[in-house]
Amino acid sequence: MSAAAEFLKGNEALALGALKTGLNAYFAYPITPSSEIPETLATEFGKPEWPDFKVFLQAASELEAINMVMGAAATGAKVMTATSGPGFSLKQEGLSFASSMELPMLIVDVNRAGPGLGNLGPEQTDYFQATRGGGHGGYPNIVLAPSSVPEMASLPSLGFSLAFRYRNPVIILADAFLGQLKEDLVFPEVPTERFDVSWATTGARGAERHILSSLHLDYGEQNRFHEHLEAKAEEIARLEQRAETYRTEDAEVVLIAYGICGRLCRRAVGMLREKGIRAGLVRPITVSPFPRKELGTLVERGVRNFMVVELNMGQMVEDVRLAIGGRARIELVHRTGGLLPSYLDIVQRAEEISR
Amino acid sequence: MIAAEGHYEDKLGHLATLTSTPTHYCAGCEHGTLTRLIASALDELDLREKTVLVDSVGCSVFAHDYLNVDAIQAPHGRAPAVMAGIKRMRPDLTVFAVQGDGDAVSIGLLELVYAAVRGEPITIFLVNNAIYGMTGGQMAPTTPVGMVTTTTPRGREAALAGPPLDASKLIASLDGPAYVKRVLLPVTPTPSPEVFNARGALEGARAVRNAFRVQQMGGFAFVEFVSTCSINWKMSILESKRYATDVLAKIFPPGLFKDRFGVEQR
Amino acid sequence: MAQVVRPEIEKCRVEVDAERCKGCNLCVVVCPQRNLKLSTGLNPKGYHPVVFHYHGEKGDCTACGLCYWVCPDFAIASVSRWKP
Repeated sequence: MSAAAEFLKGNEALALGALKTGLNAYFAYPITPSSEIPETLATEFGKPEWPDFKVFLQAASELEAINMVMGAAATGAKVMTATSGPGFSLKQEGLSFASSMELPMLIVDVNRAGPGLGNLGPEQTDYFQATRGGGHGGYPNIVLAPSSVPEMASLPSLGFSLAFRYRNPVIILADAFLGQLKEDLVFPEVPTERFDVSWATTGARGAERHILSSLHLDYGEQNRFHEHLEAKAEEIARLEQRAETYRTEDAEVVLIAYGICGRLCRRAVGMLREKGIRAGLVRPITVSPFPRKELGTLVERGVRNFMVVELNMGQMVEDVRLAIGGRARIELVHRTGGLLPSYLDIVQRAEEISR
Repeated sequence: MIAAEGHYEDKLGHLATLTSTPTHYCAGCEHGTLTRLIASALDELDLREKTVLVDSVGCSVFAHDYLNVDAIQAPHGRAPAVMAGIKRMRPDLTVFAVQGDGDAVSIGLLELVYAAVRGEPITIFLVNNAIYGMTGGQMAPTTPVGMVTTTTPRGREAALAGPPLDASKLIASLDGPAYVKRVLLPVTPTPSPEVFNARGALEGARAVRNAFRVQQMGGFAFVEFVSTCSINWKMSILESKRYATDVLAKIFPPGLFKDRFGVEQR
Repeated sequence: MAQVVRPEIEKCRVEVDAERCKGCNLCVVVCPQRNLKLSTGLNPKGYHPVVFHYHGEKGDCTACGLCYWVCPDFAIASVSRWKP
């Protein structure tokens, strides 16, 4: 791929971005609005520019797909699969097992309206499911939230990096708008990272064998395993919080939004500034670990008005409340159904609370 | 006295693929027998260090404790999909699983069928004892009509649950598989009450070996072992062997359903 | 000159790991020569483990190996032949 600008859909950019990190295997099941991801990969499969892309397979269900991902991941490979809400639900069993066996993988959820079939429009209603872990048992959640087509292209690289460093599944939580949005982008050069996969199950070596198991019948062992996962989650929370801040240095009201709402709020901040309101934006790039440090810094600096904008009935706002506590005012602007809040809504509400 | 010169030479003995861990299986369970057959085949074909076992869920969940190979656990029913993921990524490895009738034929039926449809070059051993063993004796898809289980206390009713499912017939009806065989694994009664026949174990040994060879030749191999579960059938060990022979083997007749590469001839 | 008495060599031997045996009786019922019997004693797990006798009811052990293949607990650890 040349360094020229390309005009691509978010889903296409994500697929190509994953290939550029040296994706080894993709197990597919189509579901709107994510199907362009497997379709792009199916088209690219076998091309000489992707020598590491060894397996493309359409599975019989999202459930079969996630289990194939687990198998391939067990060999130490870079594996990915993508889906939307109903398929994301099906994958939760796999996420629980993969987290328990500490297998790196990339799972993309292109959040559409839900619950149930919902519709094909964008929502951010899978936030709880992704960040709290929709699978049974407690395990660390690493969730990345792109907000632009260039970020759809670049986050797979960060995703695999985190997945292998912490031996944990990583979720890319996109939305239907981003998946379908077309933008210019220039693919950044991504050095193909090689990771330590000495734990992989690829055949015993003499007396040494690797067993990936999620069963800890001894209660003490299970307890210690949870402590191990907890230590992992704490390290991730300490080291991997990421957020984009925009004009927060002197802000009196700070908007907090991710995904497509992050884009809206960026524009809204500009509009508010034109009206003389010192607005700023914190756009989480990791929604898990949630960027509480950044919010804490703003509160300490004296910011007392925060406004969360999201496409659900109020999910990320709870993480904001946890981070900020009772130290500041937290407003919520929300819209569901596949609809987006208008700039007018956002600007008016921000104006109100800044007075 | 002069000691005679010479020594005992093992005709059958230590297997590298078997660990020294005592098994958790109930006394007389065919899971144990099958484990030995698998270890012997992997030793003979020198595959131990190139093999990955996928543990299924059921009494077979502890298989990696007894088989000295790399292993990964699959969720209930998903072993064929996990196997496919490993094999697609690493076609040089031998990949296999031991599944119970619940794992393979109930919750995992889609994963089993699609691995067979695609002809994934993997090996699946089904231990069909017509009941859910690990969870304490509930009805299985292969439970005969009339059999009392903890979820069919008045006996399985065909009107409610349908008749038992013939896994080998189902898998053999697909074009993908290369080897589909059903073996009656338990010892079988003879006219003399104290004498039983071990032909099943010997046939099982051949089937296991063939199933691995078929994988090496690039084919999907499926062997169903009609087995027993004396504890949950509420029978003595020898009674359960008689039940398997007199009742189960009539519903699930042993046989060779598919042999695309002709391994049984070689 | 002292008489040299050669002990009779048992041509075949079955090694039983009594601690693994669960007394399931399968080897007992398949042995064609009836060389195996459950003992009256108990092993640490509380089972009556099997005991091997070269001279069975029906004849001497031939190292056919059926006990080895049938044993679900690998308590039949080995079946061996005497090599002079």
